[in-house]
Amino acid sequence: MPKASIVVPAYNVAETLPETLSSLLAQTAQDFEIVVVDDGSTDATAEIVQRLSDPRIRLISQENRGLAGARNTGIAAARGAYIGLCDGDDLWRPGKLAAHIAHLDARPEVGISYSGSEFIDAASRPLGVFQRPRLRGVDAAHLFRRNPIGNGSAPVLRRAMLDRVAYRPAGETQRDWWFDETFRQSEDIEMWLRLALTTDWEVEGIPGALTLYRVNGGGLSANTGRQLAAWERMVEKLAPLNPAFFAAHAPAARAYQLRYLARRAVSDGDGPRARDLVLRALACSRRPLAEEPAKTLTTCAAAAALTLPGAARLGRIATQRRLSYPKG
Amino acid sequence: MTLPTILHLVDDASAGGVMRMLSHIETAPDFARFARHRVEVVSRSRIGARREGADMIVSHLSVNWRNLPALMTLRARHPGLPLVHVEHSYTEGFTALNVPRKGRFFTLLRTAYSLFDSVVAVSAGQADWMTRRGLVSADALTVISPAVGLGAFTALRPVYHPPQVIGAIGRFDRQKGFDILIAAFRKVENPALRLRLIGDGPERAALQDLAAGDPRITFAGFAPDPAAAMAGVEAVAMPSRWEAYGLVSLEARAAGRPLLTARVDGLADHAAAGATAVSGQGVDAWAEALRNLTDADAPVRIAVAEARADAARAEARFAESWSALVTALVSGGDAAQQRDLAQAA
Repeated sequence: MPKASIVVPAYNVAETLPETLSSLLAQTAQDFEIVVVDDGSTDATAEIVQRLSDPRIRLISQENRGLAGARNTGIAAARGAYIGLCDGDDLWRPGKLAAHIAHLDARPEVGISYSGSEFIDAASRPLGVFQRPRLRGVDAAHLFRRNPIGNGSAPVLRRAMLDRVAYRPAGETQRDWWFDETFRQSEDIEMWLRLALTTDWEVEGIPGALTLYRVNGGGLSANTGRQLAAWERMVEKLAPLNPAFFAAHAPAARAYQLRYLARRAVSDGDGPRARDLVLRALACSRRPLAEEPAKTLTTCAAAAALTLPGAARLGRIATQRRLSYPKG
Repeated sequence: MTLPTILHLVDDASAGGVMRMLSHIETAPDFARFARHRVEVVSRSRIGARREGADMIVSHLSVNWRNLPALMTLRARHPGLPLVHVEHSYTEGFTALNVPRKGRFFTLLRTAYSLFDSVVAVSAGQADWMTRRGLVSADALTVISPAVGLGAFTALRPVYHPPQVIGAIGRFDRQKGFDILIAAFRKVENPALRLRLIGDGPERAALQDLAAGDPRITFAGFAPDPAAAMAGVEAVAMPSRWEAYGLVSLEARAAGRPLLTARVDGLADHAAAGATAVSGQGVDAWAEALRNLTDADAPVRIAVAEARADAARAEARFAESWSALVTALVSGGDAAQQRDLAQAA
């Protein structure tokens, strides 16, 4: 049994997968396997994996089930006590796995170990933009509002924790579910929040931008309606677990979610949508303004500037257009 | 040979399930066979008092920071006496939803449990959690699931047909998750179904609001006779957010009532014994489970029969397990004597 498994959900990532796998094979940690789940790709994703002869890599091919379904298949096949996730277009810095293994070994009460990320562009160039999340003292309310785990290539999960939330929905004959495959967006936060509200595992980060998270600009803000709908469905699904918690924290969490979508609209140069989202965010809760005034005001100002004629070009900053799976 | 005297201490006389279990221990012939049992309801200031004449003390007390000094005093005043703690409250689900600082809480539990010669988990699910969190050393941990007199339940005619009257029995507290059940039940459109909520508690008004406008849902009030309440329903649903064991689940199984439980904590034990576990704890998952339950055919009947057969043995298992624990700690009591001597020396 390897100490750790790295699950790589891969959907039409032939262009980026070789670099992703190189970054994983270059991990300084010794004892790990890589489980690549080809999620019904129509490009050369599967052939790329087959051509690699490294015994640490296993390939599983399935009909397309979406990101959650690909991760679940990988988790079901993984043999390690620790399970890392790395999307087929992201990269891990060489010391990432070793750092998480040391963290999880040292802190047996931690179920999710994560780190910060640096954003890279389509050509793998660093954009100088970082996710620097809160690392300590993270509770369910922090997860709900700010999701410090950040992205789907940041966490390394403890198998024993995953075993606590495995379930087999009606109609599923192949294997258990961990991530809820009925979600095509917000599947990460749904899982983290469900873990926080039903198990007693702690969530903790380690320093460093150990994940390189690939983004490219443009074209996603048309999607914000569906994003928001998925997020609201997540809230509706989980609220029965702890109604008082959701009553207390949903307004601020919703405001942060709307601000996040507003920033993406800004990046797309979509002024009217950004303005609408920012106003809705402020109507939900002033907490983003009180807790993160600079970022919130910048978003407001950018949205306002974009409504000026010819201003669309101004708003283009690094954003989060995923190449393969849509970003959750 | 004189029988040993076991003193049971309890501080929360409002906990219905615990008090019924203690009353069973005090009066059941199975328990009288191996020991004399006395139950003492104590206030915090009396927890640490010196008890004369007991051969073993069993704590059914609440573990919290305020009680910890009293528990330490209890240990210090009875250095050679076997002390056992039964954990009726705490579980993984409880911790997830109620404990902001988990590390501090685990420290409390480790400290408190270390005062006892033995810690009794009331379900395998709870024991797994205690082991996983390193709360009790393996040799000090025993699983004994509680029981009450089940004769009045096993005497009921089991339900092997698709049930239409679903019962939710217990205290109206957010722990029990009856709000989830009402919301789920309302999504199941079958007009022939009934949901009967039997109990009372702080959430009563909120639950009635949730049920308003659906005449299929009724509130029966607190039932002084649990078996009579069980006789009036054809299935039982326990969507608890946390549950150390779930005596109502045992009673439902003994009565041959199809049983739906949340997949949490000690309720997982009932699933292992034939109940249907509902995953995900969401309203949709419960609605789906209610539909499946009320459409049920052959496989459910087998599960009900198996669950009933297992429950029918629970009363005897309960007494046997306690008898074995008392024997190990008291009659094998040379160890206790030696400790007394060591203390004296």
